[in-house]
Amino acid sequence: MTVARGAAVVAFLVLVGAGPAGAAPDDVANDISSEIMSPFCDGVTLHECPSAEALSLRARIEQWVRRGWTRDRIMNRLEQQYGASIRALPPRSGTGLVAWVGPVIAVGTGALLAWTRARRWSRRSSPGRPAPAATEGERRRLERELAALRAGSDPGPRAP
Amino acid sequence: MPFEVQGQGLTPLPLGSIGGLGRPSLIAALFFAVAAVGLCVGGARRRRGDIAEAGVRALTAMAALVAFATFCLVTAFFAHDFSLAYVAGYSSRSLGFPYVLTALWGGMEGSLLLWMFLLGGLASAALRRTKAASVLIGWAGATLGAISVFFLTLLVIPADPFRRLADVPIDGQGLNPLLQSPGMVVHPPLLYTGFVGFSIPFAFGIAALISGRLDGTWFTTTRRWTLFAWSALSIGVVLGGAWAYTELGWGGYWAWDPVENASFMPWLTATAFLHSVVIQEKRRMLKVWNIGLILLTYVLAVFGTFLTRSGILSSIHTFSEGATGRWFLPYLGVTLVAGLALIGLRLDALRSENRFDSLLSRESAFLANNVLFLAAAFTVLWGTVYPILNEALTGVRLAVGPPFFNRVFTPIGLAIVALTGIGPLVSWRRMSAASLVRVSRLPVAAGAATIALLAIGGVTSAGTLLAFGLCAFTATAIGGEFVRGSKSYRRGGLGWAPALRATLLRNRRRYGGYVVHLGIVLIVIGFAGGYGKVERSAELARGQSLAVGGYELSYADSRTYQTDEKQINEVTLAVTRGGKGVGTLRPQRNFHLAQRQTQSEVSIRTTPVEDLYVVLTSFDPDGAVVVRAFVNPLTGWIWAGAAVMLAGMSVLLTGGTAPAPALAAPRRTGVPRPALETGVSSVPVSGDIALTARRAPGRPPDDRGPAR
Repeated sequence: MTVARGAAVVAFLVLVGAGPAGAAPDDVANDISSEIMSPFCDGVTLHECPSAEALSLRARIEQWVRRGWTRDRIMNRLEQQYGASIRALPPRSGTGLVAWVGPVIAVGTGALLAWTRARRWSRRSSPGRPAPAATEGERRRLERELAALRAGSDPGPRAP
Repeated sequence: MPFEVQGQGLTPLPLGSIGGLGRPSLIAALFFAVAAVGLCVGGARRRRGDIAEAGVRALTAMAALVAFATFCLVTAFFAHDFSLAYVAGYSSRSLGFPYVLTALWGGMEGSLLLWMFLLGGLASAALRRTKAASVLIGWAGATLGAISVFFLTLLVIPADPFRRLADVPIDGQGLNPLLQSPGMVVHPPLLYTGFVGFSIPFAFGIAALISGRLDGTWFTTTRRWTLFAWSALSIGVVLGGAWAYTELGWGGYWAWDPVENASFMPWLTATAFLHSVVIQEKRRMLKVWNIGLILLTYVLAVFGTFLTRSGILSSIHTFSEGATGRWFLPYLGVTLVAGLALIGLRLDALRSENRFDSLLSRESAFLANNVLFLAAAFTVLWGTVYPILNEALTGVRLAVGPPFFNRVFTPIGLAIVALTGIGPLVSWRRMSAASLVRVSRLPVAAGAATIALLAIGGVTSAGTLLAFGLCAFTATAIGGEFVRGSKSYRRGGLGWAPALRATLLRNRRRYGGYVVHLGIVLIVIGFAGGYGKVERSAELARGQSLAVGGYELSYADSRTYQTDEKQINEVTLAVTRGGKGVGTLRPQRNFHLAQRQTQSEVSIRTTPVEDLYVVLTSFDPDGAVVVRAFVNPLTGWIWAGAAVMLAGMSVLLTGGTAPAPALAAPRRTGVPRPALETGVSSVPVSGDIALTARRAPGRPPDDRGPAR
């Protein structure tokens, strides 16, 4: 097995085996505040909101984490207090499911259309009529550029 | 500055002050824009270069009048003319330079004036400098004139920056403290330059559709304008992230805020466009894609402005909830429908002249690139507007926040990074799987080795490992291109550095693009470093410490002092690492006097490995302070990557513009191609060495355009 293949196998095994490590209460609280929209600042998460009220709510979430509350319990408590729109992630049911499925359907459909079309084009790609023979000038230019390439000198302007 | 305090309601415009000349200038500019549309349409339809030229001159006059109006408003700011509502609303006597200038774009009306100022200047310059047939110039001029009519109408009717106040205040309300930063000086003008700049290729695309000149001249002649706009938008977006990082105090640089998304979407489609036109140039394919992508880019650029101005979305960037929103929606609708209708009418002429020879080819890679960038733009658009759609349909407002975008966008982003590495490895037209495997060995090995090393080092996140692995893969693939390109010069006796330089300069378009790609890779590395982010907060009394990510921050001292604008409360934190002092940080929590608003100033210690980022969230001069501290790994790589991108853009912008005819199979129509295009085939080696001829620069043969 070549070195490249061996490294690729190791990398694959590492990727599929990788998983999240345990997290400190501060980190759990920060994660939760990153998944909640701030009730005090428009359009940003609680984690990003600079207001004093946001600071106070983040501190309260950290206290709940230290008391052993689970993530779900904390999220449900916040939803009871501030409403469903406090969750930064749309629910995976009802109309919220459409938010998740929409991009998958659109992207998948687009990719499938592009794939089938490209495949059809490549199957229908005709061999074409034989190209006309190169002129003498074109042959001379070709030989000159190949010679320059082999010699390592500047062959002249190149296309991108 | 002379003014009169009159009764209630709006006062007539006195012409004694220079601010009074602004509105008449805008009205005159509107008339010139309308005239320009008429003259350009007339010149294009009759193929009269002289009439089209008159239209271009009208646009130039319009641009001059808008520039004068802008000068009037700037003068009003510097003169503290608070009789103008806009000046009173966004400036104050204590506002110093340069913010008294940047207040020009601090609000909606001034932003629209800046937009129009840029549009006038860019349109006039582009039409005068672009070498193209008069029919193209005419229709492009008409399109740019029509765009100008829309924005000038906004400035004259619902968003008048020269509206006067009945009761003139002694002082203004000042500028939002968040906007008083160096980033504010350059971020909005760069974004607007990008947005407005895309009007140029858009206008020429519309001109091509109307005139039927769909041979690609429309984008080759405007290529440098497109690159310029894309470069400005790219740097503007990055600077926006830098501004957020240094000003907002939450330790991050991208919040998937609706207005951030609004600037990102046209960047995505414009990036796809810049790549896709290469296929049309070389193989005369993807024509519908290209015209569609520039239409979409322009529409998204204006859509972003609609999102900001309409107040339909809540965002910290939203200036106001003014009346301009109801103007934008019809304009967007008309633009989109008209553009799609024109594409539909020209569908036959837009069909590709060649086909894919193989699914394993560079052409297919470019197609995949288009699909991925479009998917990315759709994802961002969907997440941004979904809350509005759901509320409109069900009456329930759902939030779609950063976690949604991170989860849905990240896989697409990683696929784009992978394709950035695969693209240079794949040959034009056809490549065998065995060849691809052979040329990919080293990049794959680099990627796999990176993943293995990081995993051994303790990184456990699969997404992060994949991101770093793909970055290594792509960087190695790009590096390999530079090495291969330099080898011919090395054989000639040059050292590595001169050979690399010669390679870069000999083919600026190709290798400048690779440099930009390397910059993107560095930025993605910076993003991936966020995996290791650590955040801690604590209330500290004097002498107490906070531990975060290997550092210890000790509250050493504090001081309070006042300037004309604000009361500054500063804390000194001594920073140690492993018991050894590494410096001090001085975060501030300031009270802005005019706005009666408190704002934190972040203090950052930057190294190539990580940033130590500290913000003061509460300050009691006699008691404790609340400190929020972050250790952000590799964040500096984002800004370094942006600098590399800028270097690559500079190389691209100084590259040649003459298009190279494609190496094409004979046309299906049966019309034989010129010999140069059919007699030479590509050399069968890896990569894309192709021998092509350059078309001599100059006007198309049937042009009757005016002398320039």
